Amino acid sequence: MNRILWLLVSLVGAGAWGVIALHRGESINAAWLVLASVGTYLVAYRFYSRFLANRVFALDERATPAERLSNGRDYCPTTKWVLFGHHFAAIAGAGPLVGPVLAMQFGWLPGTLWIVFGVVLGGAVQDFVILFGSMRRDGKSLGKMARDEIGPVTGLFAMVAILAIMVILLAVLALVVTNALKDSPWGIFSILCTIPIALLMGVWMRFLRPGKTIEATVAGILLLCLALVGGRYVALSPSLAPLFTHGGLTIAWGLMVYGFIASVLPVWLLLAPRDYLSTFMKIGTIVLLGVGILIVMPPLKMPALTRFIDGTGPVFAGKLFPFAFITIACGAISGFHALVSSGTTPKMIRRESDARLIGYGGMLTESFVAIMALCAAAALDPGIYFSINAPLAALGGTVESAAAQIRQWGFTVTPEQLTALSASVGEASLLGRVGGAPSLAVGMAAIFSGVFGSHLMGLWYHFAIMFEALFILTTIDAGTRVGRFMLQEFLGHLWEPLGRTSWYPSNLLASGLITAAWGYFLVQGVLDPLGGINSLWPLFGISNQLLAAVALCVGTTLIIKAGKKRYAWVTILPLAWLLIVTLTAGWQKVFAADPRLGFLSHARSIAERIAAGAQDPAIGARLIWNDRLDAALAGIFMTIVVALVIVSVREWLAVIRGRKPALVKETPFVESAYAQ
Amino acid sequence: MRNSGREGGWAGGRLEVFMRAFKQVCGMPDYPGYLAHMTERHPGGSVLTEREFFESFVSARYGNGASRCC
Repeated sequence: MNRILWLLVSLVGAGAWGVIALHRGESINAAWLVLASVGTYLVAYRFYSRFLANRVFALDERATPAERLSNGRDYCPTTKWVLFGHHFAAIAGAGPLVGPVLAMQFGWLPGTLWIVFGVVLGGAVQDFVILFGSMRRDGKSLGKMARDEIGPVTGLFAMVAILAIMVILLAVLALVVTNALKDSPWGIFSILCTIPIALLMGVWMRFLRPGKTIEATVAGILLLCLALVGGRYVALSPSLAPLFTHGGLTIAWGLMVYGFIASVLPVWLLLAPRDYLSTFMKIGTIVLLGVGILIVMPPLKMPALTRFIDGTGPVFAGKLFPFAFITIACGAISGFHALVSSGTTPKMIRRESDARLIGYGGMLTESFVAIMALCAAAALDPGIYFSINAPLAALGGTVESAAAQIRQWGFTVTPEQLTALSASVGEASLLGRVGGAPSLAVGMAAIFSGVFGSHLMGLWYHFAIMFEALFILTTIDAGTRVGRFMLQEFLGHLWEPLGRTSWYPSNLLASGLITAAWGYFLVQGVLDPLGGINSLWPLFGISNQLLAAVALCVGTTLIIKAGKKRYAWVTILPLAWLLIVTLTAGWQKVFAADPRLGFLSHARSIAERIAAGAQDPAIGARLIWNDRLDAALAGIFMTIVVALVIVSVREWLAVIRGRKPALVKETPFVESAYAQ
Repeated sequence: MRNSGREGGWAGGRLEVFMRAFKQVCGMPDYPGYLAHMTERHPGGSVLTEREFFESFVSARYGNGASRCC
């Protein structure tokens, strides 16, 4: 019976892929993508993750850290499905929503294939192996595992990689919010309202009704809805609208001030309530989007492949290979997850065998979120998609110039369509709102309008924008804080008092430095004539994949040292692919001759324009400096990857050839009381 | 089973179990779970009030920077 069921699931999945492969018509329905991906996830979970759990990791009935060290707080045995939800809520953020939307300039096919097969063979394996490793070591962090199992140098690389990715991540996410909110009084008003709402919740949960988190959060959500509706009146009011209409630079500075203050405030006041709000919204909206796609079943209007696979795309420069694989990180494989998988989750697992659902299954679910975001973006008219995602410099400032340019790219859109669209979502203009969030919001609003009726389009658009901005702000708040702690650890080695997290001057200094670091890249992105995403998103992709490489090196070491070298391919395979992709992309970003793609050639072309008198020398000098900085950063990322792999391979060979004992540093076996 | 809540045939019991699961999914403090843990593992020891527990939970969870994803 069971076998027949799995045969059926495999056949449905394979059949859906067959439909996708054979389709040559005008458009295909999103339902086929959903069927094909879910079929693949189910088969991969049933067979591949079982192979990993039983053969490679040999999960058994030993007591988990949650059982042995239970303290009712962070170490706490938690029911499997509850922890699955908790883990999923912690790994899914803006990444799986934005990356697939940006990569849509290649068409929907490359993204779909990479998201589905990348997660099955790469991302989910990475999350699972790190969760397993940390669970066997009392919940140790990725950096500590790298140091203990490979060597102190690797531990240092891991720390530097985490700090660097944090800075770039915060900059690029802040840029996404900035582009979504600039000149949008409705958006700015509703996002600003989230701050006093979170503060109110914090005071409620601590002083007024201690510990009553759910009622405070429900009240917060209601206030959020009020702010959303109120935003419309603010945008329509001639006296209020100018107060909330700001350009990119002002918003960028506002975000920096917010990030700095939020990261030094007590956690109960702002971070915790904001996190509860965004988790509520995240789960609710993702479920709503899934149901919406199932009900509407939109046809995909974007072609399977566009002409931009040759690298001339307006959203970001670079060919399909390697840039599709850099642009989509979260959803396929994301190094960032290794931090969550070696953070709170391993301390809450009740039984070892639960790790399969939580580690592997949790990542499959995030991948499905990425597929849904991709469907929402692919359901947009390609002309509309490019009008929102191409930089203003390419489109020109008017709907007429934009429509003419898009026609030249081979897609049809009329100026009237563009005007009608921005009017329907209550914005002055949607042209050149690069960063992915606005076009995803339009796609989501179109799907929700398909379910609830089109008169609410503007409300849904701003709901989607608020939902994305809410958890990006949470990431900025939490990320600045993480960066601050890591920096304080470094600084503590230079002068001991700087390492004290209880010393306020040290906190202010470290927070200020971290905010300045990501703020610098943010401002650079805002001022960039190409829109900023073109240079920052690839850097983010490369740094995220770099962290994934660290995680996979650690994973491979754990497997080899456990005496399972014949299974080491499960992590070496995705590692090899990541190395090819990351190093090719990094090399091209630094050295490519095309000034749109290569940082150094872009710097040269600016220098030539200055010499020819076609460029203001002061602005030009700044652009050149930024190009060189970005090139240096990409160079550092590549050097770390190469050095890390060399150190790891030496360690693996030493163990395989018997020069080093194959010993893992696991906590000793204790039988679990939960064993059946 | 200290983690599955009260086995309640009445509606309030089920609601309580659901609310606790929901809180855990969102990473919120679970005070009844903490009380159950203290009674079972450290009987007679001093127990934090709900407000003290909230503060110590939140600072343990977010104090050294919440790890969460992009």
